[in-house]
Amino acid sequence: MNDLEQSRQTLQETMNFMAALAAGIEPVIGRGACSMAYSAGRTLGAQFARHSQRTNDLETALAEVRNVLTENDCLWQFEAFHPSTRPSLITKGEDGSEEILLVFRDCMIRQSLFRYGHAQKGSLCYMMYGFFAGALEAIMGRRAELAIIHAGENACLKCLKVHA
Amino acid sequence: MLEIKIHDESCRGCELCVDVCPTDVLAFDKVAHKATIQNVGDCIACLSCAFICPSGAITHSNIHHVKNFYRDLDFCRRVERFL
Repeated sequence: MNDLEQSRQTLQETMNFMAALAAGIEPVIGRGACSMAYSAGRTLGAQFARHSQRTNDLETALAEVRNVLTENDCLWQFEAFHPSTRPSLITKGEDGSEEILLVFRDCMIRQSLFRYGHAQKGSLCYMMYGFFAGALEAIMGRRAELAIIHAGENACLKCLKVHA
Repeated sequence: MLEIKIHDESCRGCELCVDVCPTDVLAFDKVAHKATIQNVGDCIACLSCAFICPSGAITHSNIHHVKNFYRDLDFCRRVERFL
């Protein structure tokens, strides 16, 4: 078995474990499973981003999150999305909050869920939500939310809101 | 540049694709009773419309397909041998 096949097999085993864990805790704990996964993701995000450059600019902060993911070999490729219905890429609220739409393409979580035919928007998706919240809190020092607008087969659309 | 095609003869006018699209790329033509593309620029290539279409009438080109890491290599080898 060559290196690539070995890496792939390791990844598949990890994915099987992740999906089995998610499928196991959700029926037992119920909605609490999402909170647990969120909390775990948030801690991980904060840890990964603890040495990142601090900034108050959302686009720079997202670039930092992207660097953090790449440095830690995380396959969570995302890009900012500017739909024609929105006047600008970043929407500012009256309370000083900022909102941006993000499209996630290659995602380890989606792949794991599809492997076993699990539904999307479950506890593993909440782990990702937590990861972004934790990383952005560490980088921007502001509370962040990542709402899932649409979970698709080839890409997911999410709305990132960073509070003032 | 991303392209979407709806095969006119295959479309049954069920509107499932219009309902599932998160960015309102597709619209429903009430006269022709078929789905139409109204804003291709807003398509995020989630492919939900293509997957949900009962007649497989929607195709996308020039898009990023996600890496298929969940494919089981042992299973693929067995299938290849069988074929």
